[in-house]
Amino acid sequence: MNPITAPPPYVGAYSRPRFRPESEAPGLESLARHPGWGLVGLALLLGLVTVGCDRAGAPASAESSRTRVALVMKTLNSPFFLDMKRGAEEAARELGVELVAQAPERELDVEKQMQIVENLIQTRVDALCLTPSGSKELVPVVGKANRAGIPVLIVDTRLDEATVQADGVRYVSFIGSDNYEGGKLAGQHVASLFPQPAQIAILEGIPGHETHDSRIRGFRDGLAGSPHLKIVASQPANAERDQGFNVMQNLLQAHRDIAAVFASNDLMALGALEAVSAAGRAGTIKILGFDATDEAREAIAAGRLEASVAQNPTAMGRLAVTKAVEALRGGTLPKSIPVSIELITNPRGQ
Amino acid sequence: MTPPKLALHHARQLGTLAGLLLLVTVLAILSPHFLTPGNLLTVLEQTAINAIIAVGMTFVIISAGIDLAVGSVLALAGIVLGLLLQAGVPVPVALLLTVGAGGLCGSVNGLLVTLGRLPPFIATLGMMSMARGAALLLTQGRPISGFDSGFRTLATGQWLHLPAPTLIMLGVYAAAHFLLTRTRFGLYTYAMGGNEQATHLAGINVPFHKTAIYMLSGCTSAVAAIVLTARLNSAQPIAGIAYELDAIAATVIGGTSLMGGQGTLVGTLIGALIMGVLKNGLNLLGVSSFLQQIIIGGVIIAAVLFDTLVKQRRS
Repeated sequence: MNPITAPPPYVGAYSRPRFRPESEAPGLESLARHPGWGLVGLALLLGLVTVGCDRAGAPASAESSRTRVALVMKTLNSPFFLDMKRGAEEAARELGVELVAQAPERELDVEKQMQIVENLIQTRVDALCLTPSGSKELVPVVGKANRAGIPVLIVDTRLDEATVQADGVRYVSFIGSDNYEGGKLAGQHVASLFPQPAQIAILEGIPGHETHDSRIRGFRDGLAGSPHLKIVASQPANAERDQGFNVMQNLLQAHRDIAAVFASNDLMALGALEAVSAAGRAGTIKILGFDATDEAREAIAAGRLEASVAQNPTAMGRLAVTKAVEALRGGTLPKSIPVSIELITNPRGQ
Repeated sequence: MTPPKLALHHARQLGTLAGLLLLVTVLAILSPHFLTPGNLLTVLEQTAINAIIAVGMTFVIISAGIDLAVGSVLALAGIVLGLLLQAGVPVPVALLLTVGAGGLCGSVNGLLVTLGRLPPFIATLGMMSMARGAALLLTQGRPISGFDSGFRTLATGQWLHLPAPTLIMLGVYAAAHFLLTRTRFGLYTYAMGGNEQATHLAGINVPFHKTAIYMLSGCTSAVAAIVLTARLNSAQPIAGIAYELDAIAATVIGGTSLMGGQGTLVGTLIGALIMGVLKNGLNLLGVSSFLQQIIIGGVIIAAVLFDTLVKQRRS
């Protein structure tokens, strides 16, 4: 088959410069004029910028002899992890240790988180606190930390115990709240709101991720004693705000009578809230989120959001660093360190 | 059968290499942890996946096309691999079928571009969405995890201290470099990118070779999927999001022209190493992930900008 329909002026095309044989040898002179040197200059410039930022931001030199504790989170685009980082920074300041806090750009980027951990192992941090973005996927890299003799504390999201066993990997402690219990609190709250039959929708997080899955499981179990409440839809919105908006819009089209929505994080809940407002139905649908971020708390105080499960990420970050230092000083830690969990509601609204 | 502008290729490669060496020097000065054997091996291991995807991307871009589907094809191929291994298919057979699945996706791209006469941007954009959807559909969104240790040696194994992903990367580059510089297929790849009409008039079967190029890109994405799946011990339907951008970046930093007709795999490999070294170094220095994105974007733009400026000055 002939892919060319209209014959263009071939003669002109043949004489295009890039097909002219290049006689120039890669001598020093030609190199000096060459783009590669631009790259070189740029690399230098960026290096300097980098150092500038680094040194200005952290007065303590990265190479000081102080204890260095790393905190690797899922992302920093979310208030939850910013709060965790803040808590860790406070604890690090009080304890006089250096904190290295890093995260991939996207919460879904398991491989990038693995790379960050590998790189931190290379800098020989003294302890590693990790919020794994994949319960099974990060197990191999925890093994690498084990082999480098770096103690690992798991924060917020559990590692898959079966994989941990199978790989013979060790971690000191799990620090976090029980996502399942949090989901259950939300479910029980919805059950108490609706003594009459009602339709419920769920916005799921990232499918297959332990944190979101246990929240949803908890929520469903919280509703279990109320057979008159029917879950009409449960759709993934990838833990993102814009997805929460879009999926909620679609759900509103499909199910006009939804009375309550549970989103497994606040970003999706706030997205859903906007979608409900945009549909002109603000206030008619009870929306519950998870994480109790500042913005969600404001929305709850304003009576727009029904409730959110508070996990206290600041306490998690603080505990992570404190316990890591404790472990380094030879203390023995329990296998699981619970962080309190509660449902934030608007008392006036009740 | 030498590719056009051989001398320029060398000059460009030396320039890119100088850029890489300087980056390495700067990072070695800034961080005492950078220039250690352990860290350099880590960089080589981390670069493997992007570098392997960039092989197919280089062929496609030299032929004046683009392949936006590589990340999604990687995810789909990984899922195919995961399902096969879970079903107990012997590892070598599973690997072959995985590469075949990637090649199949690539062939569809190629046929859409040649027989369907779709712009490559559109054809591969469609495939990007379809392959992702298929990966999610096959797994209901859940990762497939837990493979036997034999398969995982593809990520954990070592030979002469080199990690297995690096060895696979080097193998792929050696084979692809031979294909691009020593075979008719390679010559036609340059020819189609330089002037498709002239190539056609010279009696070369353009649709066939172009389809083969997109198929090759699908295959290299699948090889990257094998490495990634072994590395994470898990096949993820959401793997590889935005990997096409990293692969395009490595290719253009390595001197391949988006206009087609020019480029080398050695350049692409150095480009991928620049990306890998930069990301590793910024991590070691503790630069925030937000600033990292700005710096990486700056490097990509600068590399292409200088190419453009030099070309303008020459003509």
